[in-house]
Amino acid sequence: MNNDLHEKRIPIIKIGNFLIVSIQVDMHDKLALQLQSQILQEIEKTGAKGVLIDISVLEMVDSFIGRMLSGMASMAAIMDAAVVIVGMQPAVAITLVELGLEMPGVDTALNMEYGMEMLERRLNDDDISLY
Amino acid sequence: MSKEYNIDKIAERINRIEDVLASVAAGDLDARINAEAEDDLSGIEAAIDLLIDDLTDELKQREKMQKEVEDKLSKIQEQQKTILQQQADLLELSSPVSKVWDNVLILPVIGTLDSQRTQVMMENLLEKIVETGCTISILDITGVPTVDTQVANHLLKTVTSARLLGAECIISGISPAIAQTIVHLGIDLSTIKTKATLQDAMIFAMKQNKRSENVKLQSLFTSSDEKEE
Amino acid sequence: MLGLTSDINWETLSKHLIDSENNIVEVRQLVRYHAKQLSMGIIDQTRITTAVSELLRNMYNYGGGGEVLIEKGIVDDKISLIITCTDHGSGIEDLELAMSDGYTSGNGMGYGLPGAKRLVDRFEIKSELNMGTIVRVMKWK
Repeated sequence: MNNDLHEKRIPIIKIGNFLIVSIQVDMHDKLALQLQSQILQEIEKTGAKGVLIDISVLEMVDSFIGRMLSGMASMAAIMDAAVVIVGMQPAVAITLVELGLEMPGVDTALNMEYGMEMLERRLNDDDISLY
Repeated sequence: MSKEYNIDKIAERINRIEDVLASVAAGDLDARINAEAEDDLSGIEAAIDLLIDDLTDELKQREKMQKEVEDKLSKIQEQQKTILQQQADLLELSSPVSKVWDNVLILPVIGTLDSQRTQVMMENLLEKIVETGCTISILDITGVPTVDTQVANHLLKTVTSARLLGAECIISGISPAIAQTIVHLGIDLSTIKTKATLQDAMIFAMKQNKRSENVKLQSLFTSSDEKEE
Repeated sequence: MLGLTSDINWETLSKHLIDSENNIVEVRQLVRYHAKQLSMGIIDQTRITTAVSELLRNMYNYGGGGEVLIEKGIVDDKISLIITCTDHGSGIEDLELAMSDGYTSGNGMGYGLPGAKRLVDRFEIKSELNMGTIVRVMKWK
């Protein structure tokens, strides 16, 4: 079982101040939870200020994964890192809303580029407020 | 005054009646007794034959009618199919999404909105958002006479779904009548950006564009041709 | 609800045992495959797949696993995909409560059953205490 989870480990890449996670597999619940703590640990380790989670290849996000993602955003926020969910498919968005998960407070972007710009803007705004 | 009855003969005839009735019951409508003799029993035999005749006529009549009804039904079903197909085509046609400016999509809605049409509209708009990468879309409902609870909820759903994709959706052209209905129905649109006119919505969209770094309004005026794909 | 809708003319597409989280992933992918075969639109494919995912999770977490039956058939004159989830768990004590929005019996669930219901065209549930629960969902083409 442990072995099996290791095989499906989702890579987390650090670029500058940000972490990039691209979810390429249909996750089961344990894997989703594992990814959540993996990202949080990585935020702590690298001091990243933002996380981009690309879900453009996910064909389905059910209540568990949806909750994992919005929980992820709140948890990272407490650790002073912003999370942006990137590239959600229209069918997935409609289904999530119908399911009752509107994910308030979670930032989203159409693609990686916009997501990156969003995080950079936020980081700049923070800098200005400091001085 | 007694007649000579041949008991065997009578038993035979009664058997014959039973046989015929049984075959009629089993569906053989051509079966008849066709009595030859002229006596008390023959009256009954003739009456039974008549009854079978009537029954046969009735059944044939019914079969004919049933066939007619079935024919009509299949014709109606055929027509219904055509109507449904045309409705589907119309649905597609009646919700055109167009890119009117860098980063801005407009979906003008004209006519009565029903649940199905709103659904198709929502799908089209979301697909187009992803396809074009436009982060602002304007849903203009100036041409919509009324809105009911279901349609208002669909509109809400569209805006929320667009937000999940990473795009903002503005609803413009809310007439006084629609504003009244929405508030009376107790639908909360406070989380949605609404504008009175399409013009207001466009101005808002431009301002948003100006604010965001990835689209610089000025460069649009000077080199809009270069920016086109 | 008295009974579940059923029809001997329904065609069984596949049958699965759910006893691990990997099964859940496999079965929901298979549901999408069958939905695609029935030429459902992409949004309906996603709806039924997501609904089934919710049901399978409920079944796995609270019913101790169970069986899934995927069928194709005509319901109310419409070609439908019919998915039946059967578990032999403790059953649901208060169905009405379990079907109400926001209700949760365990670790923060609460979108499962009502959410799944909103995503399908027909939702039927039958539960008996200490016997188990059957949920049957249908999606028209």
